[in-house]
Amino acid sequence: MKDAYDAIVVGSGITGGWAAKELCEKGLRTLVIERGRHVEHGKDYITEWLQPWQLTHRGRGEPDLYERDYPIQSKNYAFSEATRHFFVSDREHPYVTPEDKPFRWIRGYQLGGRSLIWGRASWRWSDLDFEANLRDGAGHGVDWPIRYADLAPWYTHVERFIGVSGERLGLPHLPDGELLPAWEMNCAEKVVQRGIERDFPGRRMTMTRVANLTRAHNGRGPCQARNQCARGCSFSGYFSSLSATLPAARKTGRLTVVTDAIVHSVIYDERRDRAAGVRVIDANTKATREYFGGIVFLCASTLGTAQILLNSKSARFPTGLANASGEVGHNLMDHISKAGARGIVPGLEDKYVYGRRPTGTYIPRFRNLGRPGEAKVGFVRGYGIQAGASREGWARGADEPGLGVELKQRLRDPGPWQISLQGYGECLPRHENYVDLDPVRTDQWGMPLLRIHCAWSDNERAIRADVKTQAAEMLERAGCREVETYDEDGPPGFSVHEMGTARMGRDPKTSVLNAHNQAHDVPNLFVSDGACMASSSCVNPSLTYMALTARAVDHAVNELKRHNL
Amino acid sequence: MPPTSSSAIDRREALRRAALVLGGVLSAPMVAGVLAGCEARRAPAGAWQPRALTPDQADLVATIAERILPETDTPGARAVGVHRFIDAMLAEAYAAEERQRFVAGLADVDRRARSTHGRTFLECPAAEQLALLETLDRSADPAFRALKELTLVGYYTSEIGATRELRHVAVPGRFEGCVPLTQVGRTWAV
Repeated sequence: MKDAYDAIVVGSGITGGWAAKELCEKGLRTLVIERGRHVEHGKDYITEWLQPWQLTHRGRGEPDLYERDYPIQSKNYAFSEATRHFFVSDREHPYVTPEDKPFRWIRGYQLGGRSLIWGRASWRWSDLDFEANLRDGAGHGVDWPIRYADLAPWYTHVERFIGVSGERLGLPHLPDGELLPAWEMNCAEKVVQRGIERDFPGRRMTMTRVANLTRAHNGRGPCQARNQCARGCSFSGYFSSLSATLPAARKTGRLTVVTDAIVHSVIYDERRDRAAGVRVIDANTKATREYFGGIVFLCASTLGTAQILLNSKSARFPTGLANASGEVGHNLMDHISKAGARGIVPGLEDKYVYGRRPTGTYIPRFRNLGRPGEAKVGFVRGYGIQAGASREGWARGADEPGLGVELKQRLRDPGPWQISLQGYGECLPRHENYVDLDPVRTDQWGMPLLRIHCAWSDNERAIRADVKTQAAEMLERAGCREVETYDEDGPPGFSVHEMGTARMGRDPKTSVLNAHNQAHDVPNLFVSDGACMASSSCVNPSLTYMALTARAVDHAVNELKRHNL
Repeated sequence: MPPTSSSAIDRREALRRAALVLGGVLSAPMVAGVLAGCEARRAPAGAWQPRALTPDQADLVATIAERILPETDTPGARAVGVHRFIDAMLAEAYAAEERQRFVAGLADVDRRARSTHGRTFLECPAAEQLALLETLDRSADPAFRALKELTLVGYYTSEIGATRELRHVAVPGRFEGCVPLTQVGRTWAV
């Protein structure tokens, strides 16, 4: 058997990097397999130092090209002329959706994956989340096999390493963690914060907890307040696999990284009833080869991992590896977003900001907290609100009448303070939101195309409606003018919080993974990316993925030592 | 001046400026980035030829852009080459239909000049040009608004627009949420 490693990690994004670091630091010779190209921290951030006038199309990009090759990726907020090379070409990486069920699958196929282009919001989940499926009763997924207390030390472990800035709030449903100093609110946000907290008892507005370093941390950063993270950051001012976890793994001398290798399937050894390794397709030559290892971690992203499992067919697992439950590919979730309200914060004309803060503010969930006497609403679960205020810049001149000296003079001063509130709402796990493999069509490497069938349900629509009403009411009461709601009705996928396709659970008949992200059916197979999630919470999931990954590695290595794998 | 020495001066000047905005610390990737920017701008001034537009159309675009954002105590749209940016966008970034719509918009400006004043737009005196454009602007004429928007983008993302007309700091190094506007002085370019 050639190329035998102690552990194989599929994917080098936010969870793959964490799996690699923890496995290597625990003494395992680890192979990380990345389907995309190699990216070197710093050197390959080719647009990092380009100023606006140095970008070929001044940041405007190439609409014609985007329409043809990036119709989905270009809709992502972080996609631009300066970041396009960290997003896939939709034309080269097709997937299938029914006509009436669009799904926006945002992908970054490179070393570091989407950890280069993520939004960096880093919140802990709470028992409001881990008990949600159980509390709702039948029909809304299966109960999480873990509770907050199981994960709390691992959140701490992760936060201490990555560095998260933010405020301590003392909210039971949004637990405090190890926090670096928060970014500062701007003047307009402080006005709105005061108004909301005065008129809506129990509601808070805080700085987003974010993996941007407000001071130097573990030899990285601090963040330079450029707010161009998705171009890559030579200062290591934000957390990514390239800035933090992969270098830590490399330092052990036990890390091997292979790029341009698309995992076709996990090799299942029927005799030993174990995963033996993975079969890969070389992205450049399309040749097939195999890697063998003692344990396998799938960190290929929620949909990538589902695709690999479904494509790993054997006599024992005819519908895909570790799929005795039939749940692999099912229960796909995302968060609702792209709905809320905006308005103008009056006054403060003589105030401005210095620097470009790489994050915004946040109004934690205030619906369905289980508190006595709270408002009855027509939905289960809840939402948080991402908010941000800024003064309008020169671009407002394009929408306003005016020409010549007067226009030029007017745009020398910033415009009014505008504020936007956008809800991020919980999505229910539903069996009918699922992915499978196209029986006929393949991509250029011969991988069956993923078919995604996913749509919002009434509960998500009801959350959406409440987000708009509440956001507008909060802005009105805080004294904003010209308040209007907006609803861009983003299809699922748009929040880039897709999760749930190989869920954790207590019962092997209804879930794919156990309480340690270990496949019920295949003891040396672990899944710790978003696929493992049994519910979606309303807060951003990446910190939870990282904590689950570190915890899963700890369990895997302990089991390995006990010869249980 | 021979091109080598002028580009050497450009490089020194660019690095000096970068050092200023970066607080005097220059790392290797920063130097590489700054110099890459110099390379991109090294085309000699007289040699420019429009690619999507005819020379007359490019002149018309430059003239309209200058009326939208004229020279004041800082250079105007023509001096910073807004028409070159617009021509490049039309040549490289937009689909054929967009290009045709844009060129049709230009023809419409000339048609209006002829029917109102009996001469082409470029032959009209500045005051007539401005009045004609103000009519289009107030009526939110879609073709004109598109040209106006591209003019604003081209101007305020130019080095002069971003750093002399407005304010730009490549590496702020910190964030302060509530400073007197007078401390910054003008709109941030980014």
